Amino acid sequence: MDFEPKIVAFVCNWCTYAGADLAGTSRTKYATNVSIIRFPCTGRIDFMLLMKAFENGADGIIVSGCHPNDCHYTSGNFHARRRWIVFRSLLDFMGFDTDRITFSWVSAAEGTKWAGLVNEVTEKIREKGPFTEFKKLDYSILEKIENDVVTE
Amino acid sequence: MTSLQNKVTELFENGTINLLIGFKEAIHKLPVPCFIDNVSQVEQLIFTPSCKGNLSVYLHKTEVKQAKKVGILANLATLRAIVQLVSENQLGDIEKTVITLDAKGELVVFATMDELEAYVQANFPDLSEEDKKLLDQLNAMSRTERWQYWTEQFTACVKCYACRAVCPMCYCSSCTVEGNQPQWIKVSSQTTGNLEWHTMRAMHLGGRCINCGECGRICPVGIPVHMLTVKMNQDIEAEFGAKTGFSVKNGYALNSFKPGDKEQFIK
Repeated sequence: MDFEPKIVAFVCNWCTYAGADLAGTSRTKYATNVSIIRFPCTGRIDFMLLMKAFENGADGIIVSGCHPNDCHYTSGNFHARRRWIVFRSLLDFMGFDTDRITFSWVSAAEGTKWAGLVNEVTEKIREKGPFTEFKKLDYSILEKIENDVVTE
Repeated sequence: MTSLQNKVTELFENGTINLLIGFKEAIHKLPVPCFIDNVSQVEQLIFTPSCKGNLSVYLHKTEVKQAKKVGILANLATLRAIVQLVSENQLGDIEKTVITLDAKGELVVFATMDELEAYVQANFPDLSEEDKKLLDQLNAMSRTERWQYWTEQFTACVKCYACRAVCPMCYCSSCTVEGNQPQWIKVSSQTTGNLEWHTMRAMHLGGRCINCGECGRICPVGIPVHMLTVKMNQDIEAEFGAKTGFSVKNGYALNSFKPGDKEQFIK
């Protein structure tokens, strides 16, 4: 069976969610692999939520909100941007595959951009394959311990 | 009596301090923290360059705060921690007398925060050679090699949370790892949970960590956990120009923003 990536999208209520809504009401066709989770603001999207999404089986993540200067709460996306800059760099330093998290700004009027983004990310993750690196961590350790016992 | 012991006796006698957090010699001549609340105990005090512990971790404990007038023996890392704690409004309710050893081995007693700040800024240290070497090594690795390295390190983690206990910046009265509604981080020691714990620790300390390296030094299984925050601090300094433990007017880099912050990865 072909691999169908599971994409989780963390989006803000005011821009990207409305943009995704627009894509729907305009009958734009795009990949069905994405599950959208709506947040009040990108400033609310905690890095732990992304970690938990990966732990629970996501192959890729989209994080998206209002363009800079367009935030409903004036500065939520600016705060989020700083956090993403350091979080992404920290993940990269730990060797985490940062290509699996896509950050984007999608406004309420950009239904087509949203559809394009989802298609693009789905294709990218499809090529990369399932995200086993993270999920198999605990199992590979068990295997290793078992092997250690056998060799002893 | 040494000059330190004389000085501390004087401070106790003129009522400048009620409690002193210092070092005493324990088994194998290792310096361990000690708490002194009267002159008769002053004799056990030592303060040498081998006293590397960061005693500022005790400054925001309730028992210490009750003493009101607190003296502390501080190495350079501790001084930076005190500057950072003051900038985070954590030490407002105690009067602190900070004693340090300067590069020549002379005692310096700071009367005001301004003096302390000026001393820290004049003596601001660079990363240690060891840390620089490890950082270069890690930066030179490919992504998969780094993943291999860190997952192997985190597999060894026993979740003792010593890195949290020893950190002067980890002063929250309740920590995310203790919450179980929801259970963010697995209680047991598993690689995924350990990785999440160390990511979370680094994220919560990014832009606040003062690079004292105590977490890496204290780790019972020898994980260089401090490298995560070292790396984050480097990024934050490069991207946002914020330097931790440098000034009492330091803002928290992740609690502020500039509309012109630059990044390359947001589509």
